[in-house]
Amino acid sequence: MAQTIEALERRIDELRVAVREAVLPGDKALASARRAELKRAEQAWEDALAATAPRQVLAQQAQGSLLPLREQVYEALSLLQVPAAPKLIATVHEAFFGSTFPTTRVTSLKRDEERSFRSAPFARPYYICAALSADYLSPSRGLLAVSTWPMEKRVIGSLSPRVDFLTAAIRVADAIERIPTPPATARQLLQRFAGNIPGAAPVPGMLASAGPDQVRPDVVRQAAQAELAVHSDADTRLRKEAAARARKQLGDAEQFFGAKDGFQPVKYDETGSAAS
Amino acid sequence: MNQPPETTARLDRLRGRAMPVNHNARTISALAANPGCPRRALLDAAGVNKQRIAAHIGYPAPFGQSRFAITRGNAFEARLTDNGAAELLTLLRDILELDMTEVGYTDFHAVAGNTSRELRHAATRNALTGQDYGPRTLFDHPMLRLRVGGRHAYLEPDLIALRLDGSFHVIEIKSFPVIDGQADPAKVAAAAIQSAVYVHALRDLIAEAGGDPSQVSHETILIAPKDFASHPVAASLDVRKQLGVLNRQLTRMTRIDDLLAQYPESLTFDLDPDADGTPRRDPGDLAQAIALVTANYSPECLATCELCFACRDEAHGSTGALGKSVREDLGGIEYTAQALSLARGQLPPADRAEIAVQLLRAAQIREQLLGEVS
Repeated sequence: MAQTIEALERRIDELRVAVREAVLPGDKALASARRAELKRAEQAWEDALAATAPRQVLAQQAQGSLLPLREQVYEALSLLQVPAAPKLIATVHEAFFGSTFPTTRVTSLKRDEERSFRSAPFARPYYICAALSADYLSPSRGLLAVSTWPMEKRVIGSLSPRVDFLTAAIRVADAIERIPTPPATARQLLQRFAGNIPGAAPVPGMLASAGPDQVRPDVVRQAAQAELAVHSDADTRLRKEAAARARKQLGDAEQFFGAKDGFQPVKYDETGSAAS
Repeated sequence: MNQPPETTARLDRLRGRAMPVNHNARTISALAANPGCPRRALLDAAGVNKQRIAAHIGYPAPFGQSRFAITRGNAFEARLTDNGAAELLTLLRDILELDMTEVGYTDFHAVAGNTSRELRHAATRNALTGQDYGPRTLFDHPMLRLRVGGRHAYLEPDLIALRLDGSFHVIEIKSFPVIDGQADPAKVAAAAIQSAVYVHALRDLIAEAGGDPSQVSHETILIAPKDFASHPVAASLDVRKQLGVLNRQLTRMTRIDDLLAQYPESLTFDLDPDADGTPRRDPGDLAQAIALVTANYSPECLATCELCFACRDEAHGSTGALGKSVREDLGGIEYTAQALSLARGQLPPADRAEIAVQLLRAAQIREQLLGEVS
């Protein structure tokens, strides 16, 4: 959980600067909007802190979690810190929090979250929301994110799926290192990540025969970071550009759940080509 | 490529009141599987729903994929494309030495949440022809388009097209197993022709946009599960031969006039549906209309054509119904009954003397081994 708190602390710092920048030139509307956002981030920080202790206990439980689905999804996403598909979210929750859930339930969760946000915006400290495709700012198929994350993290460009996969591998490696005796499911998860990152296997080319115990978190992290360095700049550039567009073009609800009706269908001429 | 209006009108009349059936990669590859069949060519050009017609005359088609097979196929595909196509990238890096920088992944299942085929096609075209930003390597479920018999068929490749060294490779993901390095040859052949359909459509798209169609490689990539597990293996397929067959068949469909000229203007396969869509046409009458158009039945039709059972019944007793190799071996003999009487020693006409000798000899050998020829 430390990751979430750290991320929130960074976010709070950023927001304080943003408030100051809005107050100085005397932009009242912007200042109050940013203050509200700061307040929400602080509330999320309090909630995350309060939730840390009981979660330690829950991690020990082998049976199903007593937490509501949205909190389980939040726990797993907070560990990963990148938008993820329900299948990965469920696997991460099983590996680190000892319980899993049917991925089919997640579809209705997103709908409920959107309904809740639209009826009472910002009433909750966080919402499980959509990741947005960078090109059309529409909800990206099957990916979930957390509303308190910065927009740059929630938009998905063409390189982002790979970048997020590598980032998730690093987070999982970090999380395993923090646990004195990581459960077998967590090691298996790391092994699956390692299998698809060059240089992450304990002995090159021997991954199939290596057991989950032989996969080392530090090697996986190093390998993932090495590949991440290749894509990171281009991905960040695309995501920043898309995030700026999203903040400019979309309302609050659309920023979290995606643009739905703002898109104009392409028109066709007689030859079947799209008219420009 | 556009048909003259009178041709379109005749094809519409053949189809009757039913909506035209859209082609997909399977039906287009089936076209190429039996290029010599006028019945199939005519029905397909008119977009007739062969499934319904076959059922109405009492020969329902034997097709349909089992639910388990579909679920298994989808799960295998999802495994490859999940998490930024991590597993697929690993495979391509291992086998094709795909560069580390090539990781762009774009999903074309929907455009801005909209699944319309036209929109998806436009988005695919923008992305493939470079009017779109972003580094892209893998294209998941792009929407291609091919002109078949004067109409656009939309093709949603069950696959991913990949840009590798500046050229496009079509990737076909199949769930049939490769056991000890061997896969069912019929299934590989079907995958190859399906890939060829995509290569053709992709080349059309690039050419339409003013690009060089040779950017699309004739080497396609087939990915299937290894042995009995779901671990994927990839193999390269050269589809040049299939492309040739496909080209010929598609050209033939645009020259459908020659075929139409052989049949009466009044010919129609209309089912005469009532308000609920229930067919009212007399099945015997419809069967007669179908029988007017010659079929070229071969056992391979059983895997691809909805009318196969009707045609097989019709072809009963002919040597062609036993397959190409039998027909070739018995060159010039049309019916099995003729072959049998020659084998029993009936005096042959002069032009069949040679084959008659062979048949007699074969019958003698069979008799020695098994007893008298029945």
